[in-house]
Amino acid sequence: MNQNLHQAGVKLLNALSRNADLIMQVYLSGTLHEGDASPGVVDNLKKLGILWRPEAGGPLRLKKAIRNLLEGSLQDERNRQIDTNIGSALASLKTLAQHYKEALAHHRYAEAQAHMNDLSEHVYALTESLGNNVRALFSRINNEFGYVASIDAKIRENELAQSQVSELLSQLEMFRFDELSEVAGSIRELRHLLVVALQQSFSRCTQELSIAQSRLLELLGRFREFRGKTRLLKGFLLHMEQQPDFAPANYANHSQVPALFNLAKPLLQPAAVDVNRVDHEQDLLLLVGRIKALHRSDKPLDEQRAAQAIDVESQGQVELDDKAIHQAVEAYFCEVIDTGKRLTALQYLNSQELDFDPEVWIYQVIGGYQGLAEEDRKFFALEPEVEDHPIFTGNKIVRDIELGLR
Amino acid sequence: MISEQGRILERLLSGDFICEISDEDGWRYLKQSANFDAVDQYLATLNRSLSSAADGQVFFAAYRTLGDGERKVLSSQFQEIAAGLLPLVEWLLLVQQSSGSDVPVTQGSTIRSNELQSTIEDTPAYKEQLAKIARYRLFNSNSVEVVGQLNLVFKRLTELGYLMKPNPDKQIYIATGKIDYLYEVLRFIDETEALSLAEQAESAIAQGSLL
Repeated sequence: MNQNLHQAGVKLLNALSRNADLIMQVYLSGTLHEGDASPGVVDNLKKLGILWRPEAGGPLRLKKAIRNLLEGSLQDERNRQIDTNIGSALASLKTLAQHYKEALAHHRYAEAQAHMNDLSEHVYALTESLGNNVRALFSRINNEFGYVASIDAKIRENELAQSQVSELLSQLEMFRFDELSEVAGSIRELRHLLVVALQQSFSRCTQELSIAQSRLLELLGRFREFRGKTRLLKGFLLHMEQQPDFAPANYANHSQVPALFNLAKPLLQPAAVDVNRVDHEQDLLLLVGRIKALHRSDKPLDEQRAAQAIDVESQGQVELDDKAIHQAVEAYFCEVIDTGKRLTALQYLNSQELDFDPEVWIYQVIGGYQGLAEEDRKFFALEPEVEDHPIFTGNKIVRDIELGLR
Repeated sequence: MISEQGRILERLLSGDFICEISDEDGWRYLKQSANFDAVDQYLATLNRSLSSAADGQVFFAAYRTLGDGERKVLSSQFQEIAAGLLPLVEWLLLVQQSSGSDVPVTQGSTIRSNELQSTIEDTPAYKEQLAKIARYRLFNSNSVEVVGQLNLVFKRLTELGYLMKPNPDKQIYIATGKIDYLYEVLRFIDETEALSLAEQAESAIAQGSLL
């Protein structure tokens, strides 16, 4: 039996770890998107009691026990449930204690040990659940119910938490330590569990709960104040919309001016410098040092330096019309291509009777040739007609240039 | 070296509000009743008294006895306060709504102006609201850009003592106790004029009005 249980438990835990991603997804989103998981896996999880379907046709959800485990271990603040069923837990503790005592009285030690284990399990579960409840409350208080946005929702959450605290406190009143110690009698283990362990957890819990309660009240007060202020602002705006000409009576004219509007006029002006105070000398000297000295001698009025009216006119525009000559050069190149004959620049100039200065023309032709793209320039050959300078040897004068096709 | 009392007197007489945010040391000093009385005694020679509002959250100098001259000052001051109420209320609601946390701006609230700016730029309704607020005489902005309007509003509110900028390099503002004084003024007007503002707001929310 024990072996079977062990195996089943290991199987369950393995299933949990194998499908950890899926389970966390269900935990976070609340339900399982059945399309995401293979049906075999889902069936297996259902059989193991990890997932269940609360309503026929509804989506699959995590079982409460798994959810509790995750909430408890992850200290997830979404856990807003408070388990307050202490009465039944106490009753079962007493029953188990009776079983244990009876077994001891009949010297059935193995059975007594089993009862003892069971009892400790229950006691520790109870103390743990108390601790968890208080922790859940505090985490909600500490982030000021940050999971809801509006102040009204915060107030509702706060009221819920308060009712849970008072419920928890009234449940805690069910701890009767005189009864428990009577049940425990003189058996040391029982006393330790029922009196010492429970009492420690009880006193810690009540102390923390009373702090929680006062914090909750304080928070509620603040939320109410926020709500009051917001309503005041909105109400004023609304009032001004309905009665745009509203102006409060001038309370300053009342015989008793309300303290709120009794604001004295600013009285103090900056003090003046006292140059006779010796102990200020250093500071004043520094200030004086920072003053920029301006030395402007007053010159007599000079007629010629006086400002004169200046006429601002638009200047005559100097235009360089190089378009015509460009076109002429292009036409010259085309001519050479068309005829296929060599032709000097000056010959072309004369034959076309162009109105350009010959020197400018020759420069332009050379420029036009140099300006051609590399592969275009290959088709032309440019040969200058050169003549030595009559006086300065080594200098050449270009008389004309001849352009032809290669 | 000026004493703590002298420093506080200077602030009070300059017309400043002293709260935990704007001057923590001064506020703690005045919280002690012996110091409170001493400062009040000193102010008495100048026909001033030390006054507090919003449950002792802010201290300021008030007139001790009111003659005609004092009344005139108070009257014009009150008119200024009354004229500034609507723009301030609209601005407070804008900040509250755009922050998304539903928590009203009170003493100690931090406002990050660049976060506010990006929220407002993304929401046309807030943009309109801001433009409306910035045009009030209190702020008097001519800017058409959200940045310009916001900067002006923050600058004016800091000048008026409603906000503080603890670090000049960071665009983070902290609301001072003067904001709470403003709530007090609203509450006072509400009660005196029997406007029942909170009830109006509640019934409007119940009717699903778009507030």
